[in-house]
Amino acid sequence: MPKSNLTRRKFVKMSALAGAATAVGASMAGSLAACAPSVSGNEMAETGGNTAEPTNSKEGLVAMKTTCHGCMNTCPAIAYLKDDVVVKLEGNPEAPTSRGSMCIKGLNQLHTMYSPRRILHPLRRAGERGENKWEVISWDEAVTEAATHIKEAIEKYGNYSFFASVGGGGAYSFMESMTLPMAFGSPTIFEPGCAQCYLPRWVIAKLFYGGHDQSICDNCVQEIFRPDNEETQVVVVWGAQPSVSQTAESGRGMAELRAKGVKTVVVDPNFSPDAAKADVWLPLRPGTDTKLILSWYRYIFENELYDAEFTKYWTNLPFLIDMDSSSERYKLPVLAKDIFPDFKQSTPANTPAYVCYDLKTNAVTPFEFSAPEDATVDPEIFWEGEYNGKTYKTAGQLYREEADPWTLERAAEECWLQADKIEEAILTYANNWGGIGHGVATDQGQQASEAPIGLMGLDSIMGRINKPGVTLTQKGESTVPTSRPVTYNNGFSGMFSPMYGIGAVVGLSDEENEAWARGEETAAGQADVSQQKLANKILNDRLGMKEHKGLYGWCHSHIPTVRNAIATGEPYKPRVWFDYSGNKLAMLGNAKSWYEVFPEIDYIIGQYPMLTSFHIEACDLVFPLREWLEEPMAAFNQQDTTWLQNELVHIGETVSHSIPAAQIVNKCRELWGGHIPNGLEPGLISDATEAEVKQSVAESMGAPDWETLQADVDKYNPKIAPNYWQYYQHETIVDDGLPAGFATESRKIETYLQIAVKMARTGYPYCYPEPQEACEDYHPIVHAIEPAESPVEGMDGYDAEYPFVLTSGRVPYFHHGTMRHAPFSRELFPTAEIRINPASAAELGIEHMDWVKVTSRRGEVHARAYLTEGVHPKTVWMERFWNPECYDASQANPTGGWRECNVNVLTKNDAPFNEIFGSYTNRGFTVKIEKSTKPDNIWVEPEEFEPFMPTQEMYAEAKTKDVF
Amino acid sequence: MKYCLVVDLDRCSGCDSCVAACKHENTLNLGVYRNHVSAVGPMGTFPDIEMYWLPMQCQQCENPGCIEVCPTGASYRDEGTGVVLVNQDDCIGCESCLTGCPYGVRYMNPATNTIEKCTLCFHRKNDETWEPACVHNCCAGARIFGDLDDPDSAVSKAVAAAGENVHALQDPASLSPTTVYILSEKIATWQDDPEEVKRYEKK
Repeated sequence: MPKSNLTRRKFVKMSALAGAATAVGASMAGSLAACAPSVSGNEMAETGGNTAEPTNSKEGLVAMKTTCHGCMNTCPAIAYLKDDVVVKLEGNPEAPTSRGSMCIKGLNQLHTMYSPRRILHPLRRAGERGENKWEVISWDEAVTEAATHIKEAIEKYGNYSFFASVGGGGAYSFMESMTLPMAFGSPTIFEPGCAQCYLPRWVIAKLFYGGHDQSICDNCVQEIFRPDNEETQVVVVWGAQPSVSQTAESGRGMAELRAKGVKTVVVDPNFSPDAAKADVWLPLRPGTDTKLILSWYRYIFENELYDAEFTKYWTNLPFLIDMDSSSERYKLPVLAKDIFPDFKQSTPANTPAYVCYDLKTNAVTPFEFSAPEDATVDPEIFWEGEYNGKTYKTAGQLYREEADPWTLERAAEECWLQADKIEEAILTYANNWGGIGHGVATDQGQQASEAPIGLMGLDSIMGRINKPGVTLTQKGESTVPTSRPVTYNNGFSGMFSPMYGIGAVVGLSDEENEAWARGEETAAGQADVSQQKLANKILNDRLGMKEHKGLYGWCHSHIPTVRNAIATGEPYKPRVWFDYSGNKLAMLGNAKSWYEVFPEIDYIIGQYPMLTSFHIEACDLVFPLREWLEEPMAAFNQQDTTWLQNELVHIGETVSHSIPAAQIVNKCRELWGGHIPNGLEPGLISDATEAEVKQSVAESMGAPDWETLQADVDKYNPKIAPNYWQYYQHETIVDDGLPAGFATESRKIETYLQIAVKMARTGYPYCYPEPQEACEDYHPIVHAIEPAESPVEGMDGYDAEYPFVLTSGRVPYFHHGTMRHAPFSRELFPTAEIRINPASAAELGIEHMDWVKVTSRRGEVHARAYLTEGVHPKTVWMERFWNPECYDASQANPTGGWRECNVNVLTKNDAPFNEIFGSYTNRGFTVKIEKSTKPDNIWVEPEEFEPFMPTQEMYAEAKTKDVF
Repeated sequence: MKYCLVVDLDRCSGCDSCVAACKHENTLNLGVYRNHVSAVGPMGTFPDIEMYWLPMQCQQCENPGCIEVCPTGASYRDEGTGVVLVNQDDCIGCESCLTGCPYGVRYMNPATNTIEKCTLCFHRKNDETWEPACVHNCCAGARIFGDLDDPDSAVSKAVAAAGENVHALQDPASLSPTTVYILSEKIATWQDDPEEVKRYEKK
């Protein structure tokens, strides 16, 4: 290769000139290069390699371990500080699943921490709602003002006038938000996730077998990511995209599995990265999962691919079901004592004997719980027949009948798939050891309860539970049983059951539960029933509970019912609102319907590290929160490790997420002279000061106190859970001489979710001892659901006006509503996109990156068209969006930034809902698409995001002491 | 020595974390990059399609075209490591080097009026472990860094293990890019002349 004819020596003069040019560039105001804190090494990068050998790039920096909190996976990270400013973030290579990965959401906290959008002091609204005018007030003033408004409302309108909410990204306040209304004696709390995100899978798992669920993106499925896992041969990823949603953790985990040769099947309408790398991709029509699931059952039953031994003895599918609609036990499994009057049960009262058709005797026979090898019967899974003049079917038979119409061909037709691909997917799953990882997609529609019933059911009939290499495992030493397993059911760990004497304990006999509810000592311990009446009344009066009793699992209200109560005052009117997190206008389905009821709400309190559309359009008072680099927390576990999210810096008067509400409750108690009338005690479970927060974190990490923890962080961090990987718990012989089984009423896996039938009729096991009103029975097995807004001509709900079916999902740049003010995320993904098949786009005259208008029956938004063969011609795909630039000071006509590109203007928050959870339809509704133009105020050019860049002023913010 | 990146496209999920990691590490302004990730495809017609992501950065050529056309000698190849660097004191921002690079991986930084390019985080060379920020943080474990001349390095081993799945970008000007891409047929067919789908195209 010819050398340049210019030697370096000749260019000494030229370099002087270059120096001058650099100086001009560096003096440009406002650029990050000009104002970012100087990081050793970066200076070297700026000057290339012309100087002497570089020194260690981390010289002069203080390294501190922490965890990311850019999403719920909380990956271990290392932060580097210089002069009390965090200047560098990277993944911690010691992390067992993420292995040093850190995704763009986490990395960009470097900017959001020092964003000019941060709020650092309590703010009181100074103009009209929506005007974005604020005055800074003191914490004392703010807490007193909030407490006074709540107290006045409760005194004037009653306890139910208070309500709370949470969710939207960056929300850590699960326990706090669930318990805040309890302190005020109110039933009302909601979260846009919950019924639409994770609650259905979480609750169904608990009811189904008393264990952990199949969620692959919520820190739940851990087993398959074990570094020494050699057992897993296949993972079915259903309605999830780990590489996009939880990129550094389960995304990394999936990459490692695929590299090991593990086969994957991906069920997703969108050609996600996980789909692109899958052995089989099933791009099903959005919202038709139940039909596809039924085709899997049909094929697996017909071809006898299931684990017959496991299904017979560890699931309830062989149980005879009472088919007599006049019977009290209609749709429930027949009890042996009910049809065999002389039958004497040998198992304890907490372990009922059911009835099967015994292949040994060819007779209807009592079926007692036992280890498979000790069973006296060989139960038939599929049977129907008469006994004593009544017709019975086994639960397995009911499933087979339900699945029977769903041939591969019919599923292919209705789900827009190819029959041979469905078959290939089923065989890949059935012929290889592994399990199903289940994502959020099915939570966001009418099928929310049926999909987890069906998908966990598939793993159950395949015998893939509590075994190495599967997804459905129960992890941790505490899952090793010593007695008959039970579940407590009100609240995450069921903690409200013993606290307030509410909720039946699943796994106790009826008599034992009655004793439990009286506060007597039982096998499951003793409940404090001193506030039971009040606590039970709060359960009974919660909005939407009569219809959607599964929401009791997280003690949450039904969101559309809350909205209607605000609008109409029926059955009572929520009036004073405390919101824990995020941009509700970007997160709530049919956002406009919420905006319309804001005037009905007397006083709205928010808290967040920045002002979002919701704070501007709705809030009267906003508390400033810490960003995750400032907030102490024991992160969610990664496999058997729990890592410290450390307090690395702290600026302004910001506080940890739990503090404002706890301070308000304390102030209310003070104003009322000690006790909030009709409020539960302790009600709120929350830390009220940073010292309490730090103490809680220290204890979670196994340290006696914060100071000890900080003095020797590496001794406690990470905390390793001993004997975390556990298998075959159900086979363990426990104190009654029987195998432990599962924490269900039948002590077996309830593949036929019998408890769902009881729940519909009384609210059991949650609303207990005083029952909830009955609603129509819930389906204990999957049945086929066609989305209410169908894109298929001839189906109910078809409207030619709206020919496309819209579904949504995440992109790697954002978690929920977060990071829209992160400039390095926005320059790469500047604004909302809608993925459209090129053939469909051509018909509409739309080209790649054209702006389009997307219209549903509820509203219209704009997005840019991303043309791709990765979606079906009738399917379109959008990430949710909102645009904080719309109210930037530079805008001539600022807006709230939630109407322009927000998919939740389009989503459907009215009936039909999911029957058990009341989930509304965020995915799988229909829209029309037209070519359009860019809405005002939206930024798309990288340079436009300059006002979001950290400022010198923010870097210079002094490190401050704890406010409380 | 021949320090370079090996990128396993069987793993890469196009998450752009390498871009953010690079921008933070090297303090790059909005609109200024040293790397980017393009989607290649989907190729085919729904639903019979395949795609991969192509992370692009300096290919660390053995005969860099960018050096040849640099009028000031600012662009050079570090003899000890093989890394192509820009002496920013000598760079006059003339953009000549953009014409010498067929891969579009040199970027003008208007704030400094100099050229930005991947240095493989040369400033970290004397760290305990020399590892570029994009490699450290990669969410798919797709980026491997090391010396291709050293048969025991991670890159050499990855290349050896990949066998026939090893690819390099087209090299019409005989620049000998050292960067290696791994892509197996199971994921997608390597495209010699890929049509990169850019999310954002100025119109």
